Amino acid sequence: MQLKNFIESPCGLRYMLDQLDLQSGFARRWLLDSSFMTRGEDIVGTYDVLHRFTEFVYQVEPLFINTLNHKLCGLKDIRTTIKNLHGNSVLDDIELFEVKHLALLATEVKALLKQHGMDGVVEIPPMDEVISILDPDGMRIATFYIYDSYSDQLKALRIQMRQHPEQQEELLLQANKLEDGVRADLSRKLHPFAVSIENAQLALARIDVNLAKALQMKQMGLTFPVLSNDGTTRYEAMFHPQVKEALAQRGREFQPVDITFGEQPTLITGANMGGKTVVLKTLTLCQLLFQFGFGIPAAAAQIAVKDEIHFCIGDEQSVEKGLSSFAAEMKNIDAVIQASRMEKKILALIDEPARTTNPTEGAALVTALLQVLADKDMSLVMTTHYDIEPGKARCLRVKGFENGEMNYQLVEVQDGEVPHEALNIAESLGIDSEWINTARNLLETCP
Amino acid sequence: MDCEGALSVFTATSGNHCVQGVPFINDILRYDSLSIVGLEKNTGKTECLKYVLERLPVETKRIAVTSIGIDGETVDQVTRTQKPEIVLREGMYFGTSEAHYRQRRLVSELIDVSDESTSLGRVVTARAITGGKILLSGPSSASSLRRWMGEMQHRLNIDLIVIDGALSRMSSASPAVSQSMILATGAAYSANINTLVSKTAHVVDLVNLDLTTERNVTQLMPLEKGVWFIDKEGGLHSLDTMTSLSRDIHFEGMDDCETLYVAGALVDGFLEKVRQNKRLRQAELVVRDFTKVFVTPQQFRLFIKAGGRIRVLQKSKLIAVTVNPTSPSGYVLDSDTLCGRLSEAIGLPVYDLIKNQQ
Repeated sequence: MQLKNFIESPCGLRYMLDQLDLQSGFARRWLLDSSFMTRGEDIVGTYDVLHRFTEFVYQVEPLFINTLNHKLCGLKDIRTTIKNLHGNSVLDDIELFEVKHLALLATEVKALLKQHGMDGVVEIPPMDEVISILDPDGMRIATFYIYDSYSDQLKALRIQMRQHPEQQEELLLQANKLEDGVRADLSRKLHPFAVSIENAQLALARIDVNLAKALQMKQMGLTFPVLSNDGTTRYEAMFHPQVKEALAQRGREFQPVDITFGEQPTLITGANMGGKTVVLKTLTLCQLLFQFGFGIPAAAAQIAVKDEIHFCIGDEQSVEKGLSSFAAEMKNIDAVIQASRMEKKILALIDEPARTTNPTEGAALVTALLQVLADKDMSLVMTTHYDIEPGKARCLRVKGFENGEMNYQLVEVQDGEVPHEALNIAESLGIDSEWINTARNLLETCP
Repeated sequence: MDCEGALSVFTATSGNHCVQGVPFINDILRYDSLSIVGLEKNTGKTECLKYVLERLPVETKRIAVTSIGIDGETVDQVTRTQKPEIVLREGMYFGTSEAHYRQRRLVSELIDVSDESTSLGRVVTARAITGGKILLSGPSSASSLRRWMGEMQHRLNIDLIVIDGALSRMSSASPAVSQSMILATGAAYSANINTLVSKTAHVVDLVNLDLTTERNVTQLMPLEKGVWFIDKEGGLHSLDTMTSLSRDIHFEGMDDCETLYVAGALVDGFLEKVRQNKRLRQAELVVRDFTKVFVTPQQFRLFIKAGGRIRVLQKSKLIAVTVNPTSPSGYVLDSDTLCGRLSEAIGLPVYDLIKNQQ
């Protein structure tokens, strides 16, 4: 799976990518094509590189970052040209220009990074020979044409052209033939460097991506995660950057949450509006960010690597697909059960399963789901409003309303008893009192 | 058919109104950008561009040329008449598509390949090492053209950018894009000299709409959509209608309206409503620029006659109007009569460049 497959996930990954200040479209494509890492050493290696870039971002002047970013802006997607070079085709002027432009850019970026001892962090292959092929006069300017110095004959023809404009058409024909010869010769000379040129392009994309990730870490206050060895995932002061930003715009503050879970199922209960869905969204987001090597929105994080992430949230898109919300949800959860029977490490985050059906069957479905998944080798975090028997599950509860304010913190409780705060919350929202009071009376008469 | 001036044989006598020599080149150099716009195909836009490029002082000024949209076919796609390539001079910068760059007939140095793609490939920027022919096809939208122009001015210190404007797409001549313009008209636009003169004069009237006050410019420039008015005290109010295209427009509570501003298109229906409102027609009606005015000459005249005033936030300098008296069907108007009549109607010199060159 690649990053682009997760971008529309309702956990808010797109926001993180939109907030990433990438300089080139090529780097963005490269990032979107990058793979979901499932090997601990790959993840650690990726964070090692990002670590160096983060230190660098804190060390150097913002002006220097601007200069570097300005250079990286010039990175173009020249994969077609590189493919032609690999395939031994004769490159045309535009393609030769692209190669020269990339070679000069790679050299300049390398020199800039070297000033801060960063040149070896992402290896940029040397481009000197490529440049000398395409810059015969040693001008070191990123422009290109078939220069006079490639061929004395060509040079003579061009002088003639200027002196006798009336013969231009005829002379141009002769010149074109000579130019074609030069292009063939240049392409032949460049062919052995095709791999280095390709690597230089990838290296620049990696630098762009790492620099953007490092700046995002600094700007959003993200942290480096620790790889968990015992299957336990632990977040301290975890937050959701998009929700945090939306709250900040309304002058409110996001209350960070601490949460730990392992391979024992975790059941989260709590009042409406208690942030249960946001917790699941954030857990999904953090796991994805971890396995694509981004900074983690928390004060501290220790995360276990997973092979698959399943985030099941009652989503409105299912209506467009012609499924009822219940059918769509059942199918999503079914996929979790099927996956849990494979030899895979799974993280499943399920938001209020079976919420759209009647409470009797709904509660039965949820209790059964917990039982079916409890013995599987997987991490499960689930929210519910139903009063159910937690079985082997660990129960967490949102603290809920305290002195008229919502406390979003999670506390461990012994049973899965759900709080009965819906009426109080509805009242605090200013909902019609006739309705609420009638409901209250009903509860009192038939408990 | 109204035959006044029509169907006359081309004569070589120069009329009082047709100016000879190199008339408006010095005017062009006062601005950083020029678009050449034709009111119709075959009104001589390309000839006009050729004329200008041949005479610009390329030795002392950095000059760049491009086109908007795919207007550079060797053969005119609609009428199948021959469409000449543009002749560039040594040292000129140009922007064209990849496809047309590959067909160039000059030696040129590549400076940039853009990320933005047109139907003919990406836009490449180059400098002519020798003179020669090139097909022009530049950025495909006004906003990408503006970006390209910005690059040229800032990175390459270009003094003057000449834009081969798209036919009947005035957006390339918008003052938001270029500071000055030349308008090409001719028998292809209308073979009836009366119609041709009045239709051209209407366009010229719009291009020449006066600028509004500086205070209004500052206040209204940031508003990119909607209909607004400014009261006597200078207070700015929005009308609920989002555009002037809406059918139910009510001018209520606007008794102290001094300035009425239409950010989008100004159309007949709206203009008529304003004209019929005694209070509002005394207010100043402001539009962004002339490319936003889509009213018929009749409505426009009625509005002006009723005492209405239309002003613009941005204006480009109309440097000249050129005519091509020959229509693609072979129909020829009398050059001198046409130049004379048109010049009289618009109060500006009018040039028949093809005749001037002969």
